[in-house]
Amino acid sequence: MAKTASRVVDVRAEAEKHATGLRGTTGTLAGLGVTLRNMVRPQHVTIQYPEQRKPYSRRFRGVHVLTLREDGSLKCTACYLCETVCPAQCISIDAKEVEDPRIEKAPSRYEIDLSRCIFCGFCVEACPEEALIMSREYDLAVTAREPESLTYGIEDFTGRSEIAAYGAGFRPHPEYPLVESYVPGERKGEI
Amino acid sequence: MPIVTIDGRQIEVEPGTSVIQAADLLGVEIPRFCYHPDLEPEGNCRMCLVDVEGFPKPVVACATPVVDGMVVKTPHASPLASRAVKGVLEFLLVNHPIDCPICDKAGECSLQDFYMHPDYGQHPSQVNPGEKVHKRKRVDLGPRIVLDAERCVMCSRCVRFSENVTGYKELQFIRRGNHVELVSFQERALQDPYAGNFADICPVGALLSRDFRFKRRVWKLDYTDSICAGCSTGCNLRIDHFDGRIERLIPRRNPDVNRSWLCDEGRLSYKTLDVAPRVKHPQQDGEEADWVEVAAAADSRLRSATLGRELPLGALASASGTNETLWLFRRYVEAAFPQHLLEFRLARETEAVRERQDKLLRRVDKHPNTMGALHLGFTAGMGLEGLVDEAEAGRLGALLLLYYPPLVGEDSEETKERIVRLLQLVPESVVLTTHHLPYLAAAKILLPVAAWSEEEGTYTNYQGTVQHASRAVASPSAARPAAEVIGDLMRHATYGRPETEPGRVFAEIADRVPAFRGLRYNELASRLATAYPPEGRMPYGQDGFTGR
Repeated sequence: MAKTASRVVDVRAEAEKHATGLRGTTGTLAGLGVTLRNMVRPQHVTIQYPEQRKPYSRRFRGVHVLTLREDGSLKCTACYLCETVCPAQCISIDAKEVEDPRIEKAPSRYEIDLSRCIFCGFCVEACPEEALIMSREYDLAVTAREPESLTYGIEDFTGRSEIAAYGAGFRPHPEYPLVESYVPGERKGEI
Repeated sequence: MPIVTIDGRQIEVEPGTSVIQAADLLGVEIPRFCYHPDLEPEGNCRMCLVDVEGFPKPVVACATPVVDGMVVKTPHASPLASRAVKGVLEFLLVNHPIDCPICDKAGECSLQDFYMHPDYGQHPSQVNPGEKVHKRKRVDLGPRIVLDAERCVMCSRCVRFSENVTGYKELQFIRRGNHVELVSFQERALQDPYAGNFADICPVGALLSRDFRFKRRVWKLDYTDSICAGCSTGCNLRIDHFDGRIERLIPRRNPDVNRSWLCDEGRLSYKTLDVAPRVKHPQQDGEEADWVEVAAAADSRLRSATLGRELPLGALASASGTNETLWLFRRYVEAAFPQHLLEFRLARETEAVRERQDKLLRRVDKHPNTMGALHLGFTAGMGLEGLVDEAEAGRLGALLLLYYPPLVGEDSEETKERIVRLLQLVPESVVLTTHHLPYLAAAKILLPVAAWSEEEGTYTNYQGTVQHASRAVASPSAARPAAEVIGDLMRHATYGRPETEPGRVFAEIADRVPAFRGLRYNELASRLATAYPPEGRMPYGQDGFTGR
């Protein structure tokens, strides 16, 4: 293809042709205008976190919740499917025998190292009994460096009031109703 | 000899071989529940149905002997056999509770594996879970076994084991049809000292080990082949461990030694490793010391106490050490101490080594390597008792003792007293051991060594068979394999730089000791007896699909 000569533009001359006394300030003023316009607009985008929080989706994959039976015991039977499927290998379980012959097995220790957890939700999908679901809790910052500070045990997954405050998150079969009494927590929140 | 064709492959077998055995030799899988290579075939589960040319209907492979020219098609090749097997499996699963999430067998269960195989299972269930017949769960069958009657497929392996192998005859089926149930005699606890085998031979999760109950999912375990060090029989076993802890021991099949069995004492012998606290650091005169210093001190103190005073060294290595350890022990003593009394007997090992404790496996001698010690040039001399006499007469300059507490049972009080007495009498003593034991407290220098399962090596059983044991778990803290520790002592005595790696020590032994001539370490290590469940198949997790 033949090369055609381009039109040569003297950029500087072009700029001076349009220059006025307010040269260089129009762009700044336009920006300020955007700011002023948004300042007086009624719609607020920024919220006062952590006093104010945004609601998250019902499918949000936050901190795990161990659900309970009606008598308050753990639904989990320590089948280790979550531990087996976990790609981050952050779940560790020990099992124990329980008196009730219909149940036989329960976890004596159920720990997730949330600092290693990638919140993929595979554990929840693997659970055959919906004994493990996720909540909408997401703020997990701690001030200690020790790995234990983010390793949650049975008490953390059942006894924290945050669970109820944030509400239940991801579970694989939302078409089945989630019985409110199964979700632990001191205060029953929106589920 | 008859030549049989199975799925298009030919094999020549001994007359009287059953079709399933021929298939096993060929490596063709035929699903089975009731057939077991070490039990009489019974043909009751009907899972091994195969299509034989010229036969009107499928026949059971386990109870059909091969004849020359037989052409067999397994479910892999014959749609007829496959349909038959699928029907059998569907029937077996009719009342199965499907409680795999809480069943310890899950992961090594024949029902699970066969159902997932497209040629045997994967049929849609036609049973409403609410209509299943329920039976007793968590039945207490004594300290070893828990029965879950619902999961049973009535293969009768356990009944036949109890009847034909141990002769206790404690298990039987009652009732008929859907309601057949396994019960123990008068519902009593099992008395069988081999009861642990029920959990191994049960192809499903009906009979389960109480010791392993809910401990760990099987796909989490690592497997190491080893040899039982509980007595002189030298049963082949597999150490299943997780995270550096032994979780269970299960037998490996070796038709010449233990067939597929293991006694309960041997099965639980790993627990005795935790009975007393382990020696974690070398100790010199009651204080913790550094390995480099203490090895030099041990050698020089032993030599000055003997050579300087023209007295012999009493050297006793218990027959629980590996062949490699005992060989280096003997070489060190003979090279560094012109005057020595080299012994290995704590009590009456040499008399008891072949003595049976029962008619199946257990033997009276609780040392795994008495035969090895004899082959390696240790003699049935004065033994521990003689050394005490020598020490009492003041004719012993020092003592070098390699002592392992027995994995099954305990040494007699008499033996313990003799050790205490010996350690009190000799002016210098170096003890290589695994545990802090009250009767070893008087040792001047205590060197921690690796216990069984923590070191690699060979043991010679009562028949003179040399068998290899691999290292399964790590030793605590500073404990090292005894062969290495003795190598250190040899170095300090300036006898060069001896090889302490078990394979190289073994090569040296094979070179010099007639009983070991022609044996190769690598061959022993790879001569794997088949891992027990299910025969010829790798347990789930070893075929590359592992949970870890």
